[in-house]
Formats: sequence, structure tokens, C-alpha cells
Amino acid sequence: MYDLIVIGGGPGGYEAAIHAGKMGKKVALVEKQWIGGTCLNVGCIPAKTFLRSSRLFRECGEAAAYGVRVGTPVFDMPAVVERKNHIVATLTKGVQGLLKRAGVEVIIGHARLVARNTVEVGDVRYEAANLLLATGSRPAVPPIPGIQSEFTLDSNSVFELQQVPKSIAIVGGGYIGLEFACFFQEIGASVQVFEMLPDIAAGADGEISARMLRILTKKGIEFHLSAKVLRIEGHTLHFAAQDGAQGSIEAEYILNSTGRRANVEDLGLEKVGIDFSPKGIKTSEQGKTNVPGIWACGDVTGRRMLAHAATREGIVAVNNMFGVKDAVRYNALPAVVYTHPEMAMVGRTEEELKAAGTKYKKSLVPMAVAGRYLVEHEDGTGVVKVLCGAEFGEILGVHAIGDASSEFIIAAAMMVETEMSAPHASQLVFPHPTVSEALREAIAAIN
Amino acid sequence: MAVAVEIPKLGNTVEECLISRWLKEEGQTVAAGEPVVEIETDKTSFEVEAPIDGTLLARFFNKGELVPVFTKLFVIGNPGESVEEFRPQAEGAHAGSEAARPEEPSAQDKHPEPVGRAGANASATSSSAAWSPRARRFAEEHNFNPQAVAGTGPCGRVLENDMRALYHSSARVSDAAGQGVRNGAFAPREGSGIGGMVLAADLAAPESRISGVREKIARRLRESLAGTAQYTLNTSADARGLLLLRARIKASSSAPEININDLMTFCTVQALLEAPHLNVLFVDGTIRQGRGVHIGFACDTPRGLLVPVVHDAQALSAAALAARIKELSAKAVEGTIPADDLSGGTFTISNLGGLGIESFTPVLNPPQVAILGVNAIQLKAVRKSGMVEFIDSIGLSLTLDHQVIDGAPGARFLKVLREKIESVEQICTI
Repeated sequence: MYDLIVIGGGPGGYEAAIHAGKMGKKVALVEKQWIGGTCLNVGCIPAKTFLRSSRLFRECGEAAAYGVRVGTPVFDMPAVVERKNHIVATLTKGVQGLLKRAGVEVIIGHARLVARNTVEVGDVRYEAANLLLATGSRPAVPPIPGIQSEFTLDSNSVFELQQVPKSIAIVGGGYIGLEFACFFQEIGASVQVFEMLPDIAAGADGEISARMLRILTKKGIEFHLSAKVLRIEGHTLHFAAQDGAQGSIEAEYILNSTGRRANVEDLGLEKVGIDFSPKGIKTSEQGKTNVPGIWACGDVTGRRMLAHAATREGIVAVNNMFGVKDAVRYNALPAVVYTHPEMAMVGRTEEELKAAGTKYKKSLVPMAVAGRYLVEHEDGTGVVKVLCGAEFGEILGVHAIGDASSEFIIAAAMMVETEMSAPHASQLVFPHPTVSEALREAIAAIN
Repeated sequence: MAVAVEIPKLGNTVEECLISRWLKEEGQTVAAGEPVVEIETDKTSFEVEAPIDGTLLARFFNKGELVPVFTKLFVIGNPGESVEEFRPQAEGAHAGSEAARPEEPSAQDKHPEPVGRAGANASATSSSAAWSPRARRFAEEHNFNPQAVAGTGPCGRVLENDMRALYHSSARVSDAAGQGVRNGAFAPREGSGIGGMVLAADLAAPESRISGVREKIARRLRESLAGTAQYTLNTSADARGLLLLRARIKASSSAPEININDLMTFCTVQALLEAPHLNVLFVDGTIRQGRGVHIGFACDTPRGLLVPVVHDAQALSAAALAARIKELSAKAVEGTIPADDLSGGTFTISNLGGLGIESFTPVLNPPQVAILGVNAIQLKAVRKSGMVEFIDSIGLSLTLDHQVIDGAPGARFLKVLREKIESVEQICTI
């Protein structure tokens, strides 16, 4: 009898298992494929590894502007994949070490619920007082004829590419699609992005999304917005443009990045009466499902498909199951997109504030107000946008475009989380010279 | 030669200091430069030294007292010298002083802070008036304004350390929530933010004060229920005559504007003339029979319930009564009704029929002994020569004060009223 069995070894599951283990609980973690989950193996970490290489490659081309002359750089795709594999292996090993040190028993296999407190892995049944479902998600497969053809990649298989493609068509202009668009554009592929919605980076602040579109278009990425992909035939992608006109383009590869689907199937959820839909398992802000003793976190809940959201949700669930009051405050959950330049955001968007009827004040300053940003970026385009409540002056949202914003968005998250007012935030000292000074300027501009 | 030492001005904004500690007793000898008393302002604390060698002849203030700057604090001299010439004037002369003498308990009762911050439930209570300047300063700087702080200073005075201890043991209040609290909202002890931080969403709306009218209504109704023996009789009357008459009035272009409520009021006046035992006031154990029928009617206004009174309603025709009711109602709704028209009633009618109420318990308007509730007109099945007939019927709910009116006399009044309603076409000439 375990205190907790965690199903799924991604950033939601393994962090929760370690947390419970450190609390002295008897914990088992069941993982069917990869310790570290999507994030470590085919998500955040591999993507950032690729993007690091593509950035360096681009920078070699731009080096002359910084007074550095280099020869013609070559993008060695197999070496990049090899480096990625090495980093993933190192990190996976690290997670295994952490699990071991926290006393978590790792069971490899596919887990199914057979009762409220019983899990079956193969022929073996395990009982636990609490179950935490952290089975994650997988790339969605939209009903586009030909989407599973041999030249179509998804966000798993893209990491095994062995050479730089000449051209790639990316279906989906969300966070994942945009990151890959930047990667392929930087390594020399011609990139076209097809997005069903009129904006890219759905969910981002409208002004930020529009600016990002301009920046990426200027980089050379071609966008087809409000466009519907009709079918894929070999290298040919047929689509209907915004005005309804049909067209087609040729691409060496087609990348499907239309989103992710919660892994709710084949888990025995029906058997124990868990309230779920294809969109995910319903949970409270404490991570509770409708069945007592069964908890869920991460992508499988369909709430916010971000690794750090999963981690926080898992830890909150563990805290609550063992009597520590805790709740996820989704309003202060930061998000980062590793496009070049990066996007980082936390809190409410202007559209959300309008929809909620919240009165607000806003400011928007160019990143270039921070000297360091200009130093780092010869053609630096980027902005920081701050939204404050008009009544109390508290910082409600911070949205940024610009490299290094991913590293200072946590400061903005603290402000949002603690409802810090702009005048008080102005009393914080931002180190000079750093890119974060742009945030300071944006906050000061509110007052 | 005795020397008096006063509180120096410690800064442009400092107007008063708190005596935090006496370091020397009266009668003790002190050397020049030796500290005699420790005082504190909202910014700092420091020691006031003896300017000369001598004996501490007098201390004019006790520990914990607030003293304006430039006030003489103590006198040093030779034993036997008079100190009276130095003694500061009486309390009243302390212009600018907050007069927060700790021995006055009233300081703690005055100015109760309306805001409740997290962690405000300390065992002792205090108002900000009993906070030391440094404690107040700390509270301001930390956006912290607790309702009650247990003070450890003299007479419960709250010192900076008390404030600091409470601050560090309380859940924090976010900037936004703090602003809300200053606007009158109430903070719970613990909020939903990090470590129980109170966020704006955790605030309860400020309490809204009821209007003067509502307060009066509340008091009167409470007194009514507390001071009488109320009970309610329910019955109904055949309303076909009422409806026919109303239809006739509506159809006629020359007829005055009279509605069902007016007709019911008219019938009630007629019934009270015939059964005057309900048209009385019960005051201090005596029954006062009214000379006229002064009918009050409950009127729903934007400011709450008002009861305008039609004086000497027995003298009015149905049309005149209707006109008077209309006039008084309009004034009540506008808020321009004179006080005289809101008093002096001997009987009250409350009509909720228009809102579909089928039966209710009107609450007496003492010293009146009866109030009639008029209900909706409904179809009622009646047996008539072996057949069942459906007739329009109006509900009547009569609340009486059992101290004065027993059930049977109450029922007899209702019987008379029913007869009046059922013969309304005859008694009411349009």
C-alpha cells in the first residue's frame, strides 16, 4: 500500500513524486516510455537545444555587424541532434537520480486504473491511498487528409531530422509552430506558417501577437492567417486562404503543430467514474478530480499545457493530499515562447481585461530603452507592455518581446502574484545594465 | 539655579515625542551629559541629557505620554529649589497635542478603526490614537492598519515592537487589497495568495449603511413585534362586483380614475364606520376610539416603505379618496411628502395583490390594533345549487393585536368588510 502512486513521469509527475517522497511518503511512479516526459524528451528541452544552435548559426551570419568576422558557417544537423540527445540523456539521468534520492520507486509500464485506489501495470496490481494522474499529452492529429504522410513531421519526429530541409510548411501558428518556424528559418529553410486563426500565438496579448507577427515576417517567415489546410499530398499542401481562394504550396517537409491532446485514453478513467472529456480531466484548483483520492496535474487536465504549470499543479495536489493547504493561482502563471526574439508573459492580456470589464492603465515601451538590450541586439526590436488595474494600481499583466525576457518574467510574476502596485514596483532596484530595466521603464511609464 | 530641559525640535515634521523611558528617578543626582530620559518620535529614539550637574528635581511627564516639542520635560538643580515656574501648563494648553494620556481609557474607545486587516484579532484592542508615533509610522510604511493590537506599553499603548511583531505574524495584504481596505472593504484574516496573503479578490464589500428611513422602519417593525400580540385572520370576498365596477369605470370616459385598491380602501372605510371597534389606538393600556377614520396605506418608495395617511377618509367619496391616495403616493415616491401626512393613522391597508401575493401576515403599525392585507384576485370554486361555480375572489389577511381584539370581533369585522366589498356597486356611487 503506497501513500501515492503517480502515473506519468513528466515534469508534472516526477516533481510531484519527488515532493511527496521528500515529505516522507511511500511513493511509486509509473512511466511507460520516458522519464522526464514530453518536456525533457521531445518538448521544451530538445526544442531549446535546437534553437540554441540555430541562434548561434544566425549570429555567425550577423557577426560582422558586431565587428567579428567568421567564415561561412555550416549547420551540422546530425551534430545538433547528437548534442540534443546528449543533453536529454544527462537531464533524464538527473531526474532518475532525484527520484532515487527522494525514495520514489519507479515502475516502467503502462498503468491502468482498476479501482479507486488500485492501479494495474502489466499483471501486477498496486494499491495506494492517493493516485495522481499526470499522463500528459501528445501531438494532436487534425482531420486533414494526408496529415500522416511520409513527409509530414510532428513535434516528436522533427527532432530526428538528419539534414536541413530546403523548405518547410508549418501547420499551426501557436507557440510550438512559431518556435520551429524560427528554428528552420534561421538554419536556412524557407518557412511558411498556416494558421486557422487571424492571429499567431493564440492566447497572447493581441498587441504583442501583432508585433510578433511583424517581427517574424520581417525575418522572412511567410504567414498565412485565417487559412485552412485542406489536404496534404506528398510534398504539396493545399489550403484555402482567408478570402476563400484555394491555393497550394510545395514544401520538402510539412510540420504538424496544431496543438496537443490530453492523454486520457486507455487509463481506465471510465471504470472509476472520473469526470473527463477528450479535452482533459476536470480538476479543481487544488488538483482534485471528482473522485476522492484521485488527483490530476499537467497537460492531462487540459488547463494550461505548460511544463511549469504541470509541476506547480502536481506539487499543489501533493500538498493538498497530505494536508498542506495550497492552490494554483492561474492568473500569475508565466508563459515563455522561445522564438527569436523571445516572448514572455504573465497575467492578464488586454483582451481579457476588456472582456472582464476591468478598468486598466497600460504602458508599452521599447526594449531598446535598456542599454543592455541594444548592446546585445544590433537590430533590437522588442517591447515590454504593462497592464495595471485602474482602481488599485496593481500590476495585472506583463507582456514582453525580446531575448532575456524569459529570464526576468519571474519578477513580473511576483508582482502579479502579490498584486504589487506600480508605484511600489518602481521602488525595486533593477540591476544595470540588464534587459530587465525595460520592465522598470514600462512600470514607471504607468505612473 | 535650577535648569529646565525641554524636548528639542527633532525635525521639521516632528511635533510630539513619546516618553519611552525615564533613566533617572526624581531626587537622583546626575552629571552633565548623563542621559535622563529616552524619547521617541515616529522616526527615531534618542536620549535627552542633563545639561549640568545636579539633582533631578522634577519629571513633568510619565512614561508613555506624548509631549509636544519645546515642552519642558524635567528640571535639574539643587535640592529644595522650586520647580513650579517650569511646570508646563495644564492639559488644555497643549495645543497640537493629541491629548492621548494613557491613563484615559477613552483614548481606546474613541475613533474605532473601521478597517479590519488580516491578523487584526489580537486579545487587547486599541485605536490608532493609542499607538506610539513610531508604531504609527511603522504601520504607515508597511501598509498595515490592524484593527486591534495588543499594546505592551504603559496602559496598553502600542509600541513599535508590538506593531512589528503583529505585522510579522500576520498574513500580508497585497497593495491592491490594501487600497481596497482603505476604500472601506473588509479583509479576512487569511487570504488566497502566497502564504495566505490577502488579495483584492478576498476582500468583502464595504458594509453599506442603511438609510435613515430604513432604520426607522426597522425600529418600528421590531417594536411592533416586541410590543404587541399579533395574529392574522385570512378570508376572501367575492370580487366579481369589484371587477365589474372597475371595468365600468375603465370603459367610461367621464368616470374619475379609481382602481381596485381605491375601491378596497373605500370599502374598508365603510366597514370601519360600521365596526368601529377596530378603528382604535391602544396607548399605555388604554383604548382610544378615533373620531375619524384615518387610513394609512403602505407605499413602496425608492427609499423603502412609507405609510401615507388619508385623514378623515370617512368624509371622502370614492373618487375623492382615490385622488387623495394618488396625490399622497406621488409625494411619497418623490420624497416630498410632509411629515403630517405620514402620521396620525388609525388603521392601515397593505396591498400586495398587484404583486400576486395570495396571503400574508401584515405587521401592525402600533398603536393601531389592526392592519388589513389585500391579496390577489383569484378564481375560487363555490358550490351553488348542486353545481360548482368559479368566481373571482379577493384575499384578505387581517392582522390584529390580540391584547385588544379577540378572534371573534376580528372575524366579525371581516364579515362586514366582505359584505361591503360584495356590494361595492351599491355603496360606491360613481
